[in-house]
Amino acid sequence: MKRRSRSISAIAAIGAIALAITGCSGSDGGGAAAPSEDPADMTGTLRVLIPSFPASNEGTAAWDAVVATFNEEYPGVTVEPDFATFGNLNEKISTSLAGGKPYDILVTGVGWVPPFASQGAYLDLEQFGVTDKSLSEDAVPAIVPAVTYEGAVYAYPLIMGAKPMAYSRAAFEAAGLDPDSPPSTLAELTAAAEKLTVQDDSGKITRAGFDFWAAASNYRQAYVSVLGALGRDLYEDGEPGFDGAEGAEALDWMSDMINVSKVEEFGQKSASGAPLLLTGEAAIGFTGGYIDCAAVTQELCDDLEFFNLEDSDQAMFSGGQVASIGAGSKLADAAWGFIQALATPEAVASMSELNFAVPAASGAGDSEIVQSNPASAFVYDNLQFVVFEGGAANWLDLRDSFNTELDKALLGQGSSADILKGLAEKSK
Amino acid sequence: MTLSTEVQSPAPKADKPPLSTKKRPANGMIRAQRRAAWILMGPALLNISLFLGLPLILAFALSFTDYGFFAAPKFIGIDNYLELFADSDFHVSVVNTIVYTLMVVPLAMALALIVALALNMPIRARSTFRVMFYIPVVTATVSVATVWLWILNPNVGLANEILGLFGMPPSRWLDSPDTSLPSLAMIGIWQGLGAKMVIYLAALQGVNPVLVEAARLDGANKWQIFWNVTWPSLGPAHFFVFVTSIIGSFQVFDLVYVTTQGGPANSTRVLVYDVYQNAFSGLHLGYASAESVFMFILIAVFIAAGLRLQRSKSDDN
Repeated sequence: MKRRSRSISAIAAIGAIALAITGCSGSDGGGAAAPSEDPADMTGTLRVLIPSFPASNEGTAAWDAVVATFNEEYPGVTVEPDFATFGNLNEKISTSLAGGKPYDILVTGVGWVPPFASQGAYLDLEQFGVTDKSLSEDAVPAIVPAVTYEGAVYAYPLIMGAKPMAYSRAAFEAAGLDPDSPPSTLAELTAAAEKLTVQDDSGKITRAGFDFWAAASNYRQAYVSVLGALGRDLYEDGEPGFDGAEGAEALDWMSDMINVSKVEEFGQKSASGAPLLLTGEAAIGFTGGYIDCAAVTQELCDDLEFFNLEDSDQAMFSGGQVASIGAGSKLADAAWGFIQALATPEAVASMSELNFAVPAASGAGDSEIVQSNPASAFVYDNLQFVVFEGGAANWLDLRDSFNTELDKALLGQGSSADILKGLAEKSK
Repeated sequence: MTLSTEVQSPAPKADKPPLSTKKRPANGMIRAQRRAAWILMGPALLNISLFLGLPLILAFALSFTDYGFFAAPKFIGIDNYLELFADSDFHVSVVNTIVYTLMVVPLAMALALIVALALNMPIRARSTFRVMFYIPVVTATVSVATVWLWILNPNVGLANEILGLFGMPPSRWLDSPDTSLPSLAMIGIWQGLGAKMVIYLAALQGVNPVLVEAARLDGANKWQIFWNVTWPSLGPAHFFVFVTSIIGSFQVFDLVYVTTQGGPANSTRVLVYDVYQNAFSGLHLGYASAESVFMFILIAVFIAAGLRLQRSKSDDN
């Protein structure tokens, strides 16, 4: 759609009046400290949008520890947190911008980086000495491209929330499959899943042969994993990587698993939302990157074997929580100081445990949090195979469309190739 | 039985001079009453102007811009409105919203009236029943939706267990594009029943007992009394319930947001959810404003149609 670029002063005036009436005009949310000011003398308020600390006693304690670390260096800076969820992050960000009170620090997922960086909403972290080269040494190299936009780093990686694959050794043995020789290609996975699927007399699946760990309208991340196993990323240098033969093959495979092999119902989920593998309702499937063995029983933990989805490539989906500095922040130095406090090993360990994730820092493989459970240990050892969603400047617009369109393919409402072609068109 | 409500009035005299239309100056008491009225209405007027009127004007103005939060709004004429015609998600949302409204409003009104009629009779534990029917209205939709998510879970939910008791096959409920919207409508009807019931109950208690008694003495049976006395007396209540139900159905959002997120495959994508997605997920506030204006007009059309229907029925009576 062609859009004219003529501003309407009347609209701006109405907007200004509205903002003035609601008392939100021009508030910077912080102090007026100069960038070179001594941290000990700096005053003001840092507004932090963060989905990493849930509203629990553990979450509050972990957050307080981060703030205490920060205040050791910046005693005069107050931290005002906004504990969002990933479900309402955009809502918070957009209303803060509209209200003239933008956040100083925004902890988001990797998918947010290109859209917000392209709009000039984030600061380039080079002014704090962070470049893609330096970050490759400090963080897991695989996450560096996900926080980089047009050569500049706009977000600092904190934790990675991967979704590794696993299978039940006991289920394999019971079905006559060799648990020491797991399926590798997509075809082998289909064959194994068909053997492992259990149905009752009415045809109802009582144990899924394979679990995508996806509710209806939420197959996006599973698709990214399968696409990665076929050697393609969702976006490659900002261009769709899914609109070729591999993209359609990945979606067809998922559709066949549900509609032809019938190894799982569309949108099948456990009552608690946990992976079906952890509730004993699936034999193979996606699971989380952190398993509390005490909660799910040590027996179940010992029964699980983790592996990467692999066809032409190995692939493991991962999200990530990354911290950015808002372009409008008047306390950018303090904001960077706070990100450093968030990135300490102690803070990252707490965040990993609270978010079923692993640290994004390099050299954390031996840390207590990574070694505390088999899922985290496997994930950290295989971070070189991670694939991410996002990568397009209009990803936030497309995310919802992906969910809808993938549903259509999985429900047989259109061919995979046509649906992906339509999504590629939207990507432009 | 004939129940004439027509009032015979004398014909106006042709030679009577027309009444003066000139306003007479109000006396001191009327002026004081008017002043008091404005003072009493002041806080509400201020509230409505600031928090309803101003956003309404702003939304209308923003609908002609490309505002997306990051930069100042730029005027783009009617481009947003033209884009609505090409937006398949928007089309689906409009259709789903209308279908949802058509499913919910008549059924909910009929059920509410039946329940109100039952609870207007001298039955035991009447107050307890009234409270029970009203509880869903005062329960947070998020809680309601979460419980219904469990009930309608295709694998472990109560709904399929109940179907199984009657030898019926399990349904995918919210997970199937064929049953998701009717399932949502079912929840919507259940949740809104109490509010409609209370209005009907109040209206039923306002039905003139003299008319009912007269009808009974004339030998009318229960159905005839209901149809010829009760039903016409409920006219204003019907209209109020109809208007508020349409507005409520068109504005359904939280239920969709918590349960289906518009899925599967857009089968429960409704207008307000689409507006929300465009505004806060896609960050296209200008476009979302245009959708809101369209929705405003659509609701107005539906209400006008209802009003016309109501008037024509009143004229018939």
